[in-house]
Amino acid sequence: MSNVILFNLTTVLFGVASALYLAALYAKNGKIAVFGTWTCILAAVVSTAALGVRWYESYQMGIGRIPVTNLYESLVFFAWSVNLFYLIVEWKYANRAFGAFVMPIAFFTMLFAIKNDSSIQPLVPALQSYWLHAHVITCFVGYAGFAVSAGAALMYMLKSKQEAAKINEGIVGLLPPCKTLDDLIYRAIIWGFPFLTAGIITGAAWANYAWGTYWSWDPKETWSLIVWLVYAAFLHARVTRGWYGKRAAILSITGFAATVFCYLGVNLVLSGLHSYGG
Amino acid sequence: METVSEVRTKEVTPVAATGRTPSPSDLVWNFFISVKLAIFTLIILAIASIFGTIVEQNQPPEKYHQIYEDWAFALMNRINLFDMYHSWWFLALLVLFTMNLTCCTIDRFPKMLKVVRNPRTKLDGNLEKTLSLSDRWKKKGTLSDWAAKYSSALSATFAKPKVTEEGGEVHLYSETGVASQFGVYVTHLSIIVIFIGAILGNVLGFKGYVNIPEEEAVSQVPVRGGSRTQDLGFTVRCNAFSLETYPSGQPKAYKSDLSVIEGGREVLRKTIVVNDPLQYKGIWFYQSSYGQAGGTTALVSVRRTDGSPLGALSLAPNEPTPIDGYGTVRGVNYDQNFQGRGPALQVVVEKPGKPAENFWLPQQLPDQDRQRKDVLVFSFGGLDSKMFTGLQVAKDPGVNIVWLGCALMVIGISMAFFLAHQRVWVRLAQGQDGRVEVALAGSASRNRLAFEKKFEKIQTSVKAVGQ
Repeated sequence: MSNVILFNLTTVLFGVASALYLAALYAKNGKIAVFGTWTCILAAVVSTAALGVRWYESYQMGIGRIPVTNLYESLVFFAWSVNLFYLIVEWKYANRAFGAFVMPIAFFTMLFAIKNDSSIQPLVPALQSYWLHAHVITCFVGYAGFAVSAGAALMYMLKSKQEAAKINEGIVGLLPPCKTLDDLIYRAIIWGFPFLTAGIITGAAWANYAWGTYWSWDPKETWSLIVWLVYAAFLHARVTRGWYGKRAAILSITGFAATVFCYLGVNLVLSGLHSYGG
Repeated sequence: METVSEVRTKEVTPVAATGRTPSPSDLVWNFFISVKLAIFTLIILAIASIFGTIVEQNQPPEKYHQIYEDWAFALMNRINLFDMYHSWWFLALLVLFTMNLTCCTIDRFPKMLKVVRNPRTKLDGNLEKTLSLSDRWKKKGTLSDWAAKYSSALSATFAKPKVTEEGGEVHLYSETGVASQFGVYVTHLSIIVIFIGAILGNVLGFKGYVNIPEEEAVSQVPVRGGSRTQDLGFTVRCNAFSLETYPSGQPKAYKSDLSVIEGGREVLRKTIVVNDPLQYKGIWFYQSSYGQAGGTTALVSVRRTDGSPLGALSLAPNEPTPIDGYGTVRGVNYDQNFQGRGPALQVVVEKPGKPAENFWLPQQLPDQDRQRKDVLVFSFGGLDSKMFTGLQVAKDPGVNIVWLGCALMVIGISMAFFLAHQRVWVRLAQGQDGRVEVALAGSASRNRLAFEKKFEKIQTSVKAVGQ
């Protein structure tokens, strides 16, 4: 299975990129971070190829379908989205310090993924639908946005202490200013939120087409709603009540914790309709 | 409700401005229009929803008794925790949420509309002070000349400005992305539309579940969560059910061949699978489960010795089946691999006044029975089990309203987050020294970093005019 080899390579690349970004922060050396960026770009190419190869291999096995249908595939797809989302952010903000906080998320996701069964299994009847594509892709772009926001929130928590004490030293000293981080926390969420909304809606449409009920308070559905409510609260607090800074960062981290539980916790801990892992 | 509609016509701000003690109705109104309430409701809804995912919902009481102590069961049952999303208190939270949403809209939408209709077109000193993006310069020439030049420059780089002349000053005002201000209202409206659709579906529709054995039909469906049955107004027949598997043995497809019969006539026939339901007169049938209906039978074909067929038997286990003028045949045993020759059926033939004969019929050797030199030859055609198909049945007249709400929600959120209301002002005034004093300023409702760059461009191109 050449796709698995490519995914393993991706894991290594994410690990190397994380190490490079962290080393750049530690050594205060911007050149190391440039290598980090190139590693990320290479990882993006390799992981995209891996997804393509896996898709192609599934056709060769006579069970052709998009590679986002079990826990292994959804995890690698999540890591792929985070990496891509991160590269866009790095390019937009022209700051490589984010990498040390976002790329480890992609790396640990891949480590977790390769502990799971990586074989290509045929689709159970419930998943044989075109809604699958729209549903999974929108959800994961949303998740990736929230992951980037939480990474920025974590950086904010570290940075704000230093800024309050008016010092600028050590690893934290290299982080972008709080104002930039705060902006990123918000902007990653306003990208994630519409996609999560679309993900919930496509899920509802699919459920209605498969089971005749667009909403059945299944744990997965309910948790996606919980995530949606937390970010809705964040947006209201931010736009109308001026919740910036620390409080916004805490809400972003809370929202991402709920996202992780919605994505993994529900499948691992709770039971329900959505028991295919993803 | 009385109080709310009563105060709707009043403005809240004047009440606060006059400093008099707010009346109880003002207090109620102020409570419902606060964003604090919205944030509180969102968070409480999120926290409350968690309980229903930890406590499995709508299970039989016996199951809860196994998990929880008696006192805990009694308490949880008391607060409807076993069906909490339909409990009075959860619905009350949703009502509070909807009231808050509605009141906020009633309170803010007209004000927003007023501002959109009458934007602040004049850049006075106070406004200029509040804007972080601004610039001033002086030009030789006449006021009207520069006003015309800047007006066309703004049209070219940003948007066509509105020109206001007042007190010897000329004000140019351009804006884009006005729609972004409607995004939040479209989003809020969409939630109410979804709720309306959901309520309509609950009141006017039904959800049911029915098992139909192959070759049988139903015209009524038991409604889920009740003892009621729903008349379909037509008949649905299951012609056949089949299960396809992948080579690995995993299920690939569940297929039900269904017919809709109305007025004694077949009006629709469709083979449904999971994710491809059948719909007739607004009632949808979804492939949901399957199973064996009744026992397995053995298919045995009967021929005369010359090979001409006499008929086919379907033998239930150990049930003697009579053949006229011959005797009875009874299937007594089945072996999947009889003496290494594949599946076979053991039958007992009893003729009146003769000892019973007992022999095996291998499926792959249809002529083996000729060895018996009897007047009839039996051959085994395999086992047959009658299946039933399990169908979810749903009628939901509100579902299209729900989809309309969902579409509005995506549009509303996109308008709110991906558009920005951007405004640019230019003020021209005759200076003391005979030159024209120009002030330029801009603001954006969101994504200010991007607007800063855009503003710089506008600044450069406007200033470059007439150079």
